[in-house]
Amino acid sequence: MSLDSVDTHRGWQEKELSQMVRGGALFPMLSDPGGRIGALYGVYDAEEGVDQRGRFLVDPMGLIQSMEILPDSLGRNIGEALRQLRALQHHQATGDYMPCGWEPGKPTLSKEQSRSGEIWKEWKARHAF
Amino acid sequence: MSVTVGKKAPEFTADALDQGQTRKVSLAEYRGRWVMLFFYPADFSTV
Repeated sequence: MSLDSVDTHRGWQEKELSQMVRGGALFPMLSDPGGRIGALYGVYDAEEGVDQRGRFLVDPMGLIQSMEILPDSLGRNIGEALRQLRALQHHQATGDYMPCGWEPGKPTLSKEQSRSGEIWKEWKARHAF
Repeated sequence: MSVTVGKKAPEFTADALDQGQTRKVSLAEYRGRWVMLFFYPADFSTV
């Protein structure tokens, strides 16, 4: 979503995005004239007249579970966003907690473990990376 | 209402380009599914 019109989205899709990935963007590209929706999410920059590079994960109940805002100069890490999505889905399915550096397949913690003061038995600094 | 984790995502409806067609997209239509919502400064820039 950006302040651009649907027609501009279409031009970008045809001229550039379709050269990057077959068929172009596979998800809806929304138009946010005036930054009205960006303002609701706290990412509209009125001085620059743009929506900042914000990313929100919204769960099936409509609750925000993760958010990130980056400067114009820094592109996103989609792998990290997907890691967070998998962790959040795993938590909602099992109640497990994911320690620092968790990736799919790595050990998780129970809620009790996550507050026990004994995480050191399971988790070392090397697990962060 | 503040936008933060654990709180309700603000509802919206917007014009969108979807599979080559123009249509209205609302956040509410994705209830029951996870949504990754991206904002970015401008078309013809990095995302």
